[in-house]
Amino acid sequence: MRYKSGYDFSYKLSVGHVAWILHRLSGLALVFYLGLHIWVISHLNAGPESFNKVMNFLNSPLFKVLEIGLWGVILYHVLNGIRLLLIDFAGGARYHKQLFWVAFLLVLILTVLGAIPFLHHLHILGGK
Amino acid sequence: MKKTLEIFRYNPEKDEKPYFKTYEVEVYEGMTLLDALNHIRWEQDGTLTYRRSCRSAICGSCAMKINGKTYLACKTQMMDIKSDHVKVEPLPGYEVIKDLVVDMDNFFDKLKRVKPYHITHTPPPEKERLQSPEDFHYINEAADCILCGACVSACPSAWADKEYLGPAALLKAYKFCADTRDEGADERLAIVNDRNGVWRCHYTANCMDACPKDIKITDFIARLRNMLVQDKL
Repeated sequence: MRYKSGYDFSYKLSVGHVAWILHRLSGLALVFYLGLHIWVISHLNAGPESFNKVMNFLNSPLFKVLEIGLWGVILYHVLNGIRLLLIDFAGGARYHKQLFWVAFLLVLILTVLGAIPFLHHLHILGGK
Repeated sequence: MKKTLEIFRYNPEKDEKPYFKTYEVEVYEGMTLLDALNHIRWEQDGTLTYRRSCRSAICGSCAMKINGKTYLACKTQMMDIKSDHVKVEPLPGYEVIKDLVVDMDNFFDKLKRVKPYHITHTPPPEKERLQSPEDFHYINEAADCILCGACVSACPSAWADKEYLGPAALLKAYKFCADTRDEGADERLAIVNDRNGVWRCHYTANCMDACPKDIKITDFIARLRNMLVQDKL
């Protein structure tokens, strides 16, 4: 058996490479969230008491902060998905790096904007 | 000005494991990495093995991994490398025959699979089949490929999937499918329409960074997909 390098982790990460890894990771996170979401909703079957119990648990500040993360993950997956569509149908491959940075910037801005209502809810930025 | 070259060495007849050997080379304006390798082979260590031929970026022999990226040694200026330390390795994803020489059989087998030649069904005209400059425009960029293998070597899909046709073969498939003189597009599209064909590309676009001829390979893979999708609509 001759020497062969397989998965090459020593390869320099390019913009497209990082975009792809993040897309996969955000996709996996969303699948995990979907399972969790269905599990929470399924408590409705067992009546209001059981549902309220699990919702009380999820109303803790930790989960509110995690929800901001979820919002960011969704944004990345959606906006990078649009970037991939542009590569597919609009010749976007020639500008894929610029497209990534536009998507990344939008993710940052929209995550911060979207986080404000969450933080209000936690009384960090005031509110009721 | 001196630069150190850390070069991958492996002789399967002698060495149990690959190792790196360091050489020092005096660099000058206009010296390419290939010149530096030649200098080492001719003046310092005659056992260093690598492929080379045209030394002008047209034969595609000297593709290797240079400081973590695949490129042609003859197109890399020593002065352009910012670091004083240059790490030279064989192309990733291939079996190493010796030192910087890799086994390209798999690469050319995949190329053959996409039928990289003109397929015609109509009887040939009296002279050659003509093509207008406007029609040539469609294949001009894709026809620049020198088959150096740098793109396949930079592709994570190709690292993970041995059966994946890879960017070079797909680019060649596009070149012939988009050629107005060719009549075998259907045959070729049927071959690339496979989970190990165009659909294995995840738009990492490492191939475009690696390509020494600056061909936007990912864009041509997308165009191949468009040909397939339009076929179905």
